[in-house]
Amino acid sequence: MPTISKEEIEKALDAWTTHLLQAHATSKGGNLAIVGIVSHGDVLARRLVQKLSAAGCPAHYGAIDITLYRDDLNLRGNRPALRSSHLPFSTDDMTLILVDDVLSTGRTARAALEVLWEYGRPARVELHCLTDRGGRQLPIQPDYVAFDLSTVSEGKVVVHLQEIDGKEDISY
Amino acid sequence: MTNTYITNATWALTGEKIDLRMGHGDEPVTHYMSDIPLPGVNGITPAGEMQIPAGARTINAEGKMLLPALFDLHATINLEGHSKRESIYRAGQAANHGGVWGMLVMPSKGFIFDNAATLDSFDDAVSQRSFATMVPAGCITEDMAGAQQAPYNTLAARGVTILSDGGKMPDSLLMLHRAMKYAAEMDLTFAIRGDVPCLSKNTYMHPGTTSYSLGLHGTPACAEEIGIETLIRLAKDAGARLHIQTVSTAEGVDIIRRAKSNGMKGLTAEVALHHLLYTHEDVGDYNTTFKTLPPLREKQDCEALLAGVKDGTIDCIVTDHTPCLSFAKKQDFVSAPHGMVALDTFLPAIYTYLIKPGKLSWAEVIKACCTAPVAIVNPYDREEDTPVAAPLLLFAPDEEQHITPETLSCGTTNSPLLGTVVQGTVTLPIN
Amino acid sequence: MNPRKDLVTIDALSDEDIRTILDSTSAMKDIFTKSVKKVPALKGKSVLTLFYEPSTRTRSSFEVAAHRLSADVTTFTVSTSSVVKGESVHDTIDTLMSMKMDYIIVRHKNSGIPAVIARHCKASVINAGDGAHAHPSQAFLDAFTIKEKYGEIAGKRVVIIGDILHSRVARSTSTILRRLGAEVAYMGPGPLVPLQQHTGIPRFTNWEQIFEWKPDVIYLLRVQNERIDTPFFPVSDYHSAFGVTEERLRRIDDLNLSIMHPGPVNRGVEICDAAMDYRNTLINNQVENGIAARMSILYHLTPQTQSND
Repeated sequence: MPTISKEEIEKALDAWTTHLLQAHATSKGGNLAIVGIVSHGDVLARRLVQKLSAAGCPAHYGAIDITLYRDDLNLRGNRPALRSSHLPFSTDDMTLILVDDVLSTGRTARAALEVLWEYGRPARVELHCLTDRGGRQLPIQPDYVAFDLSTVSEGKVVVHLQEIDGKEDISY
Repeated sequence: MTNTYITNATWALTGEKIDLRMGHGDEPVTHYMSDIPLPGVNGITPAGEMQIPAGARTINAEGKMLLPALFDLHATINLEGHSKRESIYRAGQAANHGGVWGMLVMPSKGFIFDNAATLDSFDDAVSQRSFATMVPAGCITEDMAGAQQAPYNTLAARGVTILSDGGKMPDSLLMLHRAMKYAAEMDLTFAIRGDVPCLSKNTYMHPGTTSYSLGLHGTPACAEEIGIETLIRLAKDAGARLHIQTVSTAEGVDIIRRAKSNGMKGLTAEVALHHLLYTHEDVGDYNTTFKTLPPLREKQDCEALLAGVKDGTIDCIVTDHTPCLSFAKKQDFVSAPHGMVALDTFLPAIYTYLIKPGKLSWAEVIKACCTAPVAIVNPYDREEDTPVAAPLLLFAPDEEQHITPETLSCGTTNSPLLGTVVQGTVTLPIN
Repeated sequence: MNPRKDLVTIDALSDEDIRTILDSTSAMKDIFTKSVKKVPALKGKSVLTLFYEPSTRTRSSFEVAAHRLSADVTTFTVSTSSVVKGESVHDTIDTLMSMKMDYIIVRHKNSGIPAVIARHCKASVINAGDGAHAHPSQAFLDAFTIKEKYGEIAGKRVVIIGDILHSRVARSTSTILRRLGAEVAYMGPGPLVPLQQHTGIPRFTNWEQIFEWKPDVIYLLRVQNERIDTPFFPVSDYHSAFGVTEERLRRIDDLNLSIMHPGPVNRGVEICDAAMDYRNTLINNQVENGIAARMSILYHLTPQTQSND
């Protein structure tokens, strides 16, 4: 299986930060929030917030667990464990950057949008992903992808991040 | 009348091998090594010594035990939702299946033995429908309501020797005291379970670890013990014969032992087989099969009851057979009725759980399940004007029996042995 | 957690089940902070509340929990007359089966009824209290409340005070707390506290013994005289002998102990007025956590109805 290394991921995150700085240069700090989808997306979101802050563009950090909004809950025998969502700010009139590690069918992103709308009425929401492995089942497209694997992956993309898995790479 | 010969049977009391000639003799033979009368037997010799005519009908009983059939002093036969005749038929069939030739039938719904007409129609139905002898226990009070005494003289004239309100202790001791004084003159025996109703009201099992974790209120042992003590003192004062039903506690055994050793006459007692075999822990997670009255107690109680059987304090082991519809037993524990069925499996269960592990000998079982109960009831054939004696049965201890709903002929399946294998099969009657 | 259909007792749960339900409770509680206090997890599922004993609190707590998970809630009104008439549980079960419910929340005065219903229904059955047997959702909310207050449950000492004999709360809450590593003791009037040899739980009969035992949490049970036909003890003694009086409250305050109660509270019997406003009285937390705990329970059970949909 081909692998993307820790260094390449680090580089990609820098590029990602640069993209965010350019695209949202006009947003006056306080209106930008990076919201990661639990688990992995929240880790990426936290790193992006730190990088933005270092570059002089403060952004809010949030995390959401979409488990209770999944459309396949009742098709499963057991229920997945729940994690807490964490959005300690009003989302009204904010620009929210939704961050996930792997984009595929689009069902997770759909559920995430449903979660966000129950917290308030954001001005704008973008979808940013570390990888895209293709296989979309919903009319959902990312605004930013760090690694587009949709043409090369054979259906499986595994992301490891240091904070959760104790190592860092992407295999596909 | 031709004879049937039984060869190579093992006489359960002594273990010797014998041959028998079964036919109609003028006098019933008494076994030469015990004084048990053997009706239908007109010859008996050690195995191999009997002259068997060529072509005679022979039953080879090699590997089978020969013993008098059992008499059960405590059976309730009413099958809810069935006719009385069906209830009688089923109980008789189940009795023979379990080695029981006769039983004392407790009054119950449908069988309220408090008047001549009910007793007459019961006797008719039994003679037409039952495989087993059934002796009705007359009611102590009219309709078993605990208020007005039943007409004992009328009942006695129809062969009633035992009075019982289905085990229920009357609320009024004054009524019972007077009833005992009146009935004492007719040589009737009162069969009652020791209880203090206000102490056992709204209780469902033995108080202990299981009752705590299931949140069921416990029946204090002292309710039974105070009841036993009360009954003994009343009967002693009234001069009445008393049979204590289904003793379940160690202390209860002690009270009876003390009374007997003080020379009290006319006092007998019974234990239900399930109180020797099971404890309150068998209730497990609300298993209603193990809901009994009195409740299943501790292991020490089982042991004390067994010791009581061995030393003669407890005279009889009974089935306390109680059919319950599976619908009723499927209810929650509080709502489900009390009782187990035991007639179908009586002798195999006794053999498997008491004789085989060496807890009781054949001699002790025959005393507690054959001779003692017969002596208490004195079953009498009023048409023939003779006492009725126990027939013989053959028991094959090496044959296994799977207890399934199909093998239970009593009509319901509330048996703790359902789904288990017991040791031994019964041939009764032998023919 | 492995798929589990019913919640009848705490004993039936594995350690993993208990931890999973407890952990998800705090995620459920976060939902209350959103502007939309609702998640679609049980959308289209039907929940029936079947209460043979009146209880506005537990019933509404379950109903709110079900609503917040987007389930449809039906209230099955059991008229006292049909209970008196002796309609058997089986008849009721047949009725329930035809209603094709996914979750049935049942309370009954007889111990063991929810177990019977659970055996015969495809729906998930949640025991909301049966006789003196079990009240598992109360156990979860109590455990969660202690966890929330102290960070962990292991090593904490909880004394449960009152009519233990008739209390399903005492049984379920002591079971879950001990499974999670807490120590539990019982205290109350002599006839109402079962023997330690039956329960495995230390048995006290006065406050001095309790203070010596050094508990962290004082858990008061409601005195339920209406359930008892023959009195067990003189009720007029209760407050002075077993209640939290103002004097005892001062000692509780000095020792920084918490007070819990499953509600509703009899002021002046179990507890004096002042104790209701005491800084470590967790009774209101228990009510709020009750909804979250019940959401977590509903979420983690798997009805057998869904596989056939």
